[in-house]
Amino acid sequence: MSPLGSSLFRGNVKMALAAIRGARWRSLMTMGGVIIGVVSVVTTVSLGEGVKRQVSGQINRLGSDLITVRPGQAVSRDAEGRLAGVDFLAAFGANTLTEQDLAVIEKVPNVEVAVPLNAVTGLAEAGDHQLKNGSIIATSSGMEELLRTRVEFGGFFGEEESDKPVAVIGKRVAEQLFAENVPIGKSLKIRGQEFIVRGIFEEFESSPLALNADFNRTVFIPYNVGKKLNDGVLQLYQILAKPTDAHDVLPTIALMREALLNTHAGQEDFTILKASETLTITNRIVNLLTGLIAAVAAISLLVGGIGIMNIMLVSVTERTKEIGVRKAVGATNFQILGQFLMEAVVLSLVGGLIGVVLSGLANFLIRILTDLQPVITWPVVAAACGVSLLVGVIFGTAPALKAARKDPIEALRY
Amino acid sequence: MPIVELKDVSKLYGFGDATTIALEEVSLSVEKGEFVAIMGASGCGKTTLMNIIGLLDRPTHGEYQLSGRAVAKLKNSQRSRARRDRMGFIFQSFNLLPRLNVLENVALPLAYKGVSQTKRLTQAALMLERVGLGDREYFMPRQLSGGQAQRVAIARALVNNPDIIIADEPTGNLDSGSSRLAMELLSDIHQTGHTILMVTHNPELTRYAERIVYMQDGQIVHDEPSEIGNVPRRARRIMFYKPQTTEDDDLAGVSALMNAMPGREAKAKERKPIRRGKAKAIKKSKKPKKVIR
Repeated sequence: MSPLGSSLFRGNVKMALAAIRGARWRSLMTMGGVIIGVVSVVTTVSLGEGVKRQVSGQINRLGSDLITVRPGQAVSRDAEGRLAGVDFLAAFGANTLTEQDLAVIEKVPNVEVAVPLNAVTGLAEAGDHQLKNGSIIATSSGMEELLRTRVEFGGFFGEEESDKPVAVIGKRVAEQLFAENVPIGKSLKIRGQEFIVRGIFEEFESSPLALNADFNRTVFIPYNVGKKLNDGVLQLYQILAKPTDAHDVLPTIALMREALLNTHAGQEDFTILKASETLTITNRIVNLLTGLIAAVAAISLLVGGIGIMNIMLVSVTERTKEIGVRKAVGATNFQILGQFLMEAVVLSLVGGLIGVVLSGLANFLIRILTDLQPVITWPVVAAACGVSLLVGVIFGTAPALKAARKDPIEALRY
Repeated sequence: MPIVELKDVSKLYGFGDATTIALEEVSLSVEKGEFVAIMGASGCGKTTLMNIIGLLDRPTHGEYQLSGRAVAKLKNSQRSRARRDRMGFIFQSFNLLPRLNVLENVALPLAYKGVSQTKRLTQAALMLERVGLGDREYFMPRQLSGGQAQRVAIARALVNNPDIIIADEPTGNLDSGSSRLAMELLSDIHQTGHTILMVTHNPELTRYAERIVYMQDGQIVHDEPSEIGNVPRRARRIMFYKPQTTEDDDLAGVSALMNAMPGREAKAKERKPIRRGKAKAIKKSKKPKKVIR
């Protein structure tokens, strides 16, 4: 019979569970560290996963053939043009895109439509209501073509309205400013100027953590009007373009880059991204954040492991006599080792499982109470269980060795 | 061939000046099926001897052959296996595991043997039946009386059908009734051909043994056969000796009990107080004795 025969193994598991039941509070306290660790890691990772899914939904609303031009050199590429690195700081605050660039891009042969996105500083208000956490974007009539989401009521402003004070708003804006779903014909004020609501978008898929604004909270106004509003100076924070043929994304990007380099005197102080790359960048940011937080959270797993080791050491000392008796009736050192190792592993694994269940609960609460939509995936659950098992093995080994090495006579005399 | 053969076995503890001799060149040979009682004062090395025979301890010097095979070179795991398959331990303090029920306690040695759970519990139940505790299977050890606990311990020692049963003062914590029950049980076991080594302080128990070994200061000072049912004179003298020490004894650090041990008589006779004590003892022994059996 092998020393780890299945019957003995089952016996060890049973004994370990009995030991846990026997000291319920102590075991729970011991598992506390692992439980907290697992809950925080799983929750963080599932939040990140949720955000990623929301972002990819948000990016889908713009179509997969969308080309984004941003100011600043936000990414570095390897020789084959794949994304090599992301410079997060460069993505913000750079101010190198101009109206001239828009004109250049519009003239690139393959480009069907190019649309500027300009952030208008200002606060939208209607009556007593103000738009909170919203943004005002000045754009051109081509925008409608780029968006997958349709205008639900009314319509987008056309080219002939490019100098008129009209606005197309997202759902949240309608709710916040007018407290109704279809406030067509009503007016809102931006920097003292009245705008007539021309259309309301249907709900955009949105995410709380993305490089793009949440269009549900956005007021779209014609480009020229926005420019006047800002005293003729507009921040071009993004130019969106679409190729005539959806399969021509890459050649179009090459042409655009060439044209822009010409006008920028050879300086590549802009970034051209295809839709999938925008997603990649967001994912990288989210992964980085998630990874950082999860790493901090994982420290509590370590602390939990130390707690288990501590309790197991106490338990080994407490049960010295038991070890002596077991050795006297013929337990080998290896079998004693197995017993105590199993106990540590069961302790941390049960802690891990409780942690996973609590994470599910936390997930549910987060979904109810916030806009975030965390997603617990199976790999995360498996990893949580695997890691807690590992913690049990790592931190259970020292106490188990201590137990196994006890001299039977000393132990019996204890 | 003797089942246990010790040749000049010594056990030392400590180093240098602090060296203590627990066993000094003890030679002992036990045949299969013998019931040996080992008597002696506390600290005379009885338990050390038992631990060495039971493969819990290793001798510092000397040779130990178990069924004709030297055990000195056995690895720890092999010694564990030998304990599991060939030894049964009965302790003074029962040493049942408090968290396992009676049945599981009895089945413990079988678990380490790798016997399947159903099989080992069945076997343990049979053994419990044999010690008369078939109705206590699912009790926890703390719910048992001392006598019952010791019978459970005996069942545990027997469950793997060992060659040698080592009982270290098995009745030390029991009242006389339970003592008798436990000893009857051991006697039955002896009848079925098991070898039993029993350490005891109580001469009355030597009644069950067929051989008595007296120990003192780590040495075997006397070894005599005895008829089952009889308490030998030597053992009885120890029993009825009333411990009494003189100032001389205290100064010498020698207990009166030791003086009464075989081999010390001559010396003890010279001392007056001791002689008085002895006279008392002899007088007492003449009274009709309560026979246990």
